[in-house]
Amino acid sequence: MRKILVVVLLVMVGAGVTMAQTGIKKKRPLPADYGRVVMNNFSEKKGLAPVVFDHWIHRAKFSCRLCHVDLAFAMKAGGTGIKAADNMSGYYCGSCHNGTRSFDGEKVFTSCSTLAVADSAKQCDRCHSYGKNVRKEYDFIKFTRDLPKERFGNGINWEKAEEDGKIKIIDFLEGVSIKRQSLTAQKDFALSGKVAGMPEIIFSHKKHTVWNGCELCHPEIFVGVKKGATKYSMVEIFDGKYCGVCHSTVAFPLLDCQRCHTKPVQ
Amino acid sequence: MIMMKRRALLVTTVLSVLLFFLGMYVYIPSALSAQDEWRKEFDEICGKTQDAMTLPAEELKSLSERCDRLKPQIEKLDESQKKVYLKRLQMCKDLFVYVLKSRETKP
Repeated sequence: MRKILVVVLLVMVGAGVTMAQTGIKKKRPLPADYGRVVMNNFSEKKGLAPVVFDHWIHRAKFSCRLCHVDLAFAMKAGGTGIKAADNMSGYYCGSCHNGTRSFDGEKVFTSCSTLAVADSAKQCDRCHSYGKNVRKEYDFIKFTRDLPKERFGNGINWEKAEEDGKIKIIDFLEGVSIKRQSLTAQKDFALSGKVAGMPEIIFSHKKHTVWNGCELCHPEIFVGVKKGATKYSMVEIFDGKYCGVCHSTVAFPLLDCQRCHTKPVQ
Repeated sequence: MIMMKRRALLVTTVLSVLLFFLGMYVYIPSALSAQDEWRKEFDEICGKTQDAMTLPAEELKSLSERCDRLKPQIEKLDESQKKVYLKRLQMCKDLFVYVLKSRETKP
C-alpha cells in the first residue's frame, strides 16, 4: 500500500515539475481543421448554427488575394461582418456560391437564399454546421492524397503542389476582379534573427506576391514604410501579428522554423 | 359626349404610356452609365496597385486623390456593395500612400 502511494506521489510530483517547466501545450489542430474559421457574427442571433469555413479547400483552389482583396474578406476572423443579405446580393461568399458559377466543371452551391428549396434546413447546414455532424462535399484525405506533404499545418506543401501542377490556383473572378498586369517581382531580402546563431530569414517577395499582391500585406499588416524600421520579435509573431497573421493561422505554422530561417549564419 | 370623353381618355392613356417609355429610354441608360462610371474609375485606380512600386510620385498622389473623389460615389451604393467596395478602395489608397511614404523616408 505504502509503495503504491509513493509511486502515485512520484508521478504527481513529476507531472507537476514538467507542467511548471513547459506549461500546458496547446492542442494542435488536425490537418483538416488547420485554418478553419468559425463565423458567428449574426448566426446564433438568427437561430442558426455558426458557419464553419474550411480554409484548406478554398486555398487549394483560389489565391489569397482573390478572397481577401477582390472579395474584401477581412484578414481577421469575424472582421468582415458578413450578413446573409450580403451573400444573397452576390457579395462575399455569394460572389461564387450563387448557384450560377462553376469551377472545374462543377456548379458551386448557393450560399444563402430566400428561395424555398426542397430541404432548406439541409441547405443552410452546409455552411451553418458548427456542432453538427454534416457530411462535407470535399473529403480532406481523399483530396490531398496525391499532394506533396509537409510536417505541420494542413500537412500539405501548397507551394510545391502548385509548382507541380497538382493544384491550379484561380486568381481572377469575372465581374469581380480587376484585370491586372502581371506583377514585377520585388527582390528577396534577408532579415537578421535576434538570437545569436539563428539562421537569417530569407523573405521571398516573389512567393508572397504571387498569391497576395501588394495591398494585402501593405500597409495593413506591415505598417512600417522604412525597411528595418519596424522591429518585431517572435513573441509578437506568435501573438498573431506581422508574419503571424497568416503563419499562425492558415499558412505553414511558426513551428516550422527552417522554412523561414533558411540562410546559414556567415 | 360620351364618345368624346372616351377618346380623350384613350389619348391620355396612349400619351402616358409613350411618356413612360420615353422616360425609361432616357433614364435607364444614364443610370447604367453612372453605375458603369464609378466601376470603371474604380477598376482603373485599383488596377494600378500592381505597378505601385514603379509609378512616379506624382501619379501615386493623383491616384490617391482619385480614391478620395470616388469614395462619396461608392458611399451612395447599397449596403453590401458599399461595404465591399469601400474596403477595396481603402486598400488601394492605403497602398499608394504607403509607397509614397516609403520613398519619402528612404535614406
